[in-house]
Amino acid sequence: MNFTSKKPAFEHLRKRWVAKHRTLTNKVLEKHGSIGRQLALGGIGGLMLLATPGTGLLSAPHLLASGGQILKDKDTNILLANELSGKVPKEMRALNPQEDEEIAAILTKNFGFKIAPSLEGKRLNRTYGMIGGEQHLYRYPGDNLFQHGDNAVDFAMYGSAGIAPHLGAWGYFAPSQTEFSEKDKMRERYYIAVQTFLAPGFAERTAEYRDFFKFRKMVVVNPETGQSVVTDIGDAGPAEWTGKHLGGSPEVMNYLGLAEGPRQGAVLYFFIDDPGDTIPLGPVKVKDTQS
Amino acid sequence: MFYQKYIVIESLIEELHGMDLSNEERHHLSTLLDSSLHHAILDEILSNLSEPDKNVFLLKINQNPDDEKLMEFLNQRIENIEGKIRKVSNDLIKEMHKDIKEAKQK
Repeated sequence: MNFTSKKPAFEHLRKRWVAKHRTLTNKVLEKHGSIGRQLALGGIGGLMLLATPGTGLLSAPHLLASGGQILKDKDTNILLANELSGKVPKEMRALNPQEDEEIAAILTKNFGFKIAPSLEGKRLNRTYGMIGGEQHLYRYPGDNLFQHGDNAVDFAMYGSAGIAPHLGAWGYFAPSQTEFSEKDKMRERYYIAVQTFLAPGFAERTAEYRDFFKFRKMVVVNPETGQSVVTDIGDAGPAEWTGKHLGGSPEVMNYLGLAEGPRQGAVLYFFIDDPGDTIPLGPVKVKDTQS
Repeated sequence: MFYQKYIVIESLIEELHGMDLSNEERHHLSTLLDSSLHHAILDEILSNLSEPDKNVFLLKINQNPDDEKLMEFLNQRIENIEGKIRKVSNDLIKEMHKDIKEAKQK
C-alpha cells in the first residue's frame, strides 16, 4: 500500500510502525524457523507481510484469507451480477410478482439454499430498494462502540459509523454481557433495518408479524457487482420520508461494496427459508458449481 | 484471535480516531497495529513451547484461530501464559502510545 499523504503526523507514525512491524516479523521468522514462517504467513500476519515492502515474502493469493474477502466475493459473484443483468429494472421501483419469482429462482440456484419473496404468506413492502448505511446497535446493557470490534482493523473499518442512540426494534440482542453469545454478536454485525411497518398485513396483525420478522434471515444482493450478504432483520426502518427502503449495518454495507461515498445503493433483498438455522450470517459467495 | 480478550487496545484506537486521518490511513495504521501485536504474541508463545508443541499449536491455530481451547492448550504448557500475553501486548501498546504522542508533535 503506497500512500502519498502529506500529513507529517501520519508519515511519522507510519514509518515508525512499519519499522516496528518489520522487526517483530523478522524476529518470529528468524527465531522460530519454518513454524514461525507458517504462523506469520497466516491471517493478519500474512496480510501484513504481503503489504510490507522488503520482507521478500510475496506469495500465494490464498493468504489473503481475511482481508481479501471483499475482493474475492466480488470476483466470484460477478457471474451472479451478469445473470441478474437485464432482470433487475434500471429504474428504482418495486418488482412485480413475476420479476420477484424469476429473481428468487436465480438467487436460489446461485446460492444453493431456498430464497423467496415471501414466507409463510408474509412479505415486505418490496424486494428491490435503496439501502443506506446504519450505525451499530447496542447489543446488551452497558455495551459501547469499542466492544464491537475484534481488533484495530475492525475499529478502523466500522468504528466511524458510530452507535445509534436508540435500541433496535427488538431491544437488546442479549439481556446482559454475560449472556451475550456469538450468535447475538453475528446478529448485530450483519443486521438490516427493513420497513416492517409497511408490510402488507402488519397493521392488522402486528404481534404476529413482529414475531415473524424478528431476526428473520434475508439475503441482500448488490445487483451491480453480485456482492451478497446473509443478514438478519435487526431493526425497523428507515422512515418513508428518507427515500430509502432499508438500512444495513456498517459490516453489511462494506460487504455489499457500498461502504464508501454516499453509503447507499440499489439492492435486492429476499427471505431465506432456513428453518434449521443452518445458513451462517455474513458475506456469501455463489456455489462452486457456478464458478 | 484466541488471545483477543487479553489485550486492551481501546486507548490506542481512541488516539487514532482523534488524529486527522483519512479512512485509508487509519485502516493502514490499524493493520500495522493488529499485525505487530500478533507477531509479538506469537513470539512470546513460541519462545515458551517445545518443538513438538509448536507443531500442535500450529495445527490448532490453523484449524480455528478463535478457538478458546487454544488457551487451555497453552495454559497446560506455559506458566501464566495469560499474564505473559498481557505483558507483551501492554509493552508494545505503551511504545505505540509514545509513537502517537511524538507524531502529534510533528
